[in-house]
Amino acid sequence: MLIDHTHRKWFVGSTVGLAVATAVYIPYALHAPQGPRGGSALGLAFGVVGFLFMVFAGLLGLRKKFPVWRVGRAQSWMRGHLWLGLLSFPLILFHGGFHFSGTLTGMLMWMFLLVWVSGILGAALQHFMPRFQTAQLPMETIYEQIDRVRGQLAQEAGQIVEETRSALDGEVSHASERQRALSASAGTQGGLTVASGLQANQQAGAQLQRFLDEEILPYLDRAGSHAMNLSQSAKAQKMFQQFRVLLAPELHSNLDDLENICEEKRQLDRQSRLHKILHGWLLVHIPLSYALLLLGAVHAVVALKF
Amino acid sequence: MLRRTRTTKKLAKRIDMQYFARPHAFRRWRFWLSVTIPIIALGWFVTQRVQGGQKVYSSGQLSNAHAVFTQQCALCHTTQAGGFSAQVTDKACLTCHDAPAHHANQTFTPQCSACHVEHKGSMPLHATSEAACTQCHANLQTRDGQPHYAASITSLDHKHPEVSALRPGVTDPGGVRLNHYLHLQPNLMGPDNKRVQMTCDDCHRARDRAEGADVRPAALPDELRMGIHENDRAYMATPKFATNCASCHSLQFDKRFRENQVPHDKPEVVHAFLLKRFGEYIAAHPNAVHEVSPPVREIPERARIPRVARNAAEWVQFRVDDAEWLLYAKTCKQCHTLKATSGPLPEIAKSNLTTRWLDHAEFDHHAHRMMTCEACHTRPASSRETTDILLPGIETCQQCHRSQGPTKEAAEGRCFECHQYHDWTKAKPTKGRFTIQQIRGSAKTVVPEG
Repeated sequence: MLIDHTHRKWFVGSTVGLAVATAVYIPYALHAPQGPRGGSALGLAFGVVGFLFMVFAGLLGLRKKFPVWRVGRAQSWMRGHLWLGLLSFPLILFHGGFHFSGTLTGMLMWMFLLVWVSGILGAALQHFMPRFQTAQLPMETIYEQIDRVRGQLAQEAGQIVEETRSALDGEVSHASERQRALSASAGTQGGLTVASGLQANQQAGAQLQRFLDEEILPYLDRAGSHAMNLSQSAKAQKMFQQFRVLLAPELHSNLDDLENICEEKRQLDRQSRLHKILHGWLLVHIPLSYALLLLGAVHAVVALKF
Repeated sequence: MLRRTRTTKKLAKRIDMQYFARPHAFRRWRFWLSVTIPIIALGWFVTQRVQGGQKVYSSGQLSNAHAVFTQQCALCHTTQAGGFSAQVTDKACLTCHDAPAHHANQTFTPQCSACHVEHKGSMPLHATSEAACTQCHANLQTRDGQPHYAASITSLDHKHPEVSALRPGVTDPGGVRLNHYLHLQPNLMGPDNKRVQMTCDDCHRARDRAEGADVRPAALPDELRMGIHENDRAYMATPKFATNCASCHSLQFDKRFRENQVPHDKPEVVHAFLLKRFGEYIAAHPNAVHEVSPPVREIPERARIPRVARNAAEWVQFRVDDAEWLLYAKTCKQCHTLKATSGPLPEIAKSNLTTRWLDHAEFDHHAHRMMTCEACHTRPASSRETTDILLPGIETCQQCHRSQGPTKEAAEGRCFECHQYHDWTKAKPTKGRFTIQQIRGSAKTVVPEG
């Protein structure tokens, strides 16, 4: 989510809320005979408001599950989640007087700290990374479709190699018009030359097939595959350069396509890595948030007793 | 030349339009973690609850004094029959501690837990916050109108009044004349005619080191015994003649008895002593009756004319008269104030030495032993008057002690460091009612109600 000028009202509201809470807390903390405590009237007030904000932030998941509910725009819920969730942590710190002690209360504070920090990290990532990805990964696709696209790339690479070999072997059935013309022209250039050209072409075709089988397809099949030669742009460029020497210039466009497929795979790998960073924090943030709300509710009941 | 083109149509064809409906590893992980982590958290809580009882609810470690019954929350958190709340009441504290209130005329008495905050970790419970005291003392009100003490004290650093003994008009009520300036001069004639340089320690020693000291805390008047934490190292013993003065200040009364001295006691006792000693002497030396003694010249310009006795009884009377004249005109008068009475013997004003100057505060000399006496007591070397009070003022305390205490790289300066809230002189003994099992036992141990 882009945090831009449309967040101004939430930003101002949260800042004012924090300023008011701080202005109330400081004299209370300085003059309360027992020091700031969760059980005092003000401490309880901070705790109740903070917990309500936490609950609201937690309801975002429910709101997303039921997008047809007419309870405000999803965007507003997201902004509320962001800013009220951000504000809830200082309020809870004021509630507990910045203490992280106690078995249950200590656990709650550390869990909340993790949820809060992961949330801030997530908001920052969601703000900056999508633009970075757009700029750096022009060939990105839908994350969930990466595996499927990878399969398509492998298929495409196989076809290109087959076309190229056909052109080299003079097989008209598989060769394109241009490649057929090329093969034909090669045949009219004198007996010896044509014969040795065909032999060289057969060898080049075999090498290209081996390159496909041993390098390109394994690379395209495997997600990540950082250790492979084609995962490094410079290394891949050198390998393709060797084939450019072997093949006639007219077939270089096929090599360009193959190289482009490998480049797309590299970008998909990078997208996959970035996606894990961009969304991985949710694996910490969401489960811990539910645990926090659960134990927070237990704490609220127990605190009223003791 | 690149033949692959990325048109929207081509890209769209690649995508499975139902992809969002199909399971995906990331979404699967997110779901299962969202289920398992709260369950693990709940499991942890239940385990803690089963193993440690209600301790899991504790907001922090108990103080050192109460750490022993950490497992037994119900000792303090008592629940009324049928009630839900288990908050700590004064009744629970008073079960073990009889803690009398500060003053009878205070406008309100805070709850025990308002000042003694538990669950703050390993710290002494008497280390109360300044706010606990200043909630009253910042604007002191009493039931009977005007407070007897400073009406607005906010901390040691702000608005703390001067110690009461140093306020204007207060003088040392002591009846013994003492010139500190003279006593601290170099080359004073000491015992055995040797020159000495006296130090504070020669006369002022803590009770545990003072010879023959008999001023124990128990001997102090009640109003001076606010604290129960007094110890023999905290306060200086009252200087005594026998241990601190006699080695230099001789009570010799007649040359016939050389080094013999009269007892340092009431005139009647001294008189009886003299009668006895001179009576014994004349009985042993009957010829001395007719000896003519040279004029007594111990007091310059006031020579006493010798008298010749006609018999032993008269000799004893003359010698006792001479000795008492010497004692009361010179020896005793040097330190004591003598009042003439209708009888033959003078009355000696009470020494009235102040045993404790800080009526409303505690002080511990032992805790300050790393410092020289002069570091705080700056005036003795120049004090010539008995009425001078040589106590260091509050400014001296403030040089090292600060409200923020150790957090400001200073000595503790919160109120409790010097002042007591509870008037322990009124404390009544409490009767223990818990067994070891009830204090140390598991969560299942039943704690008696009360």
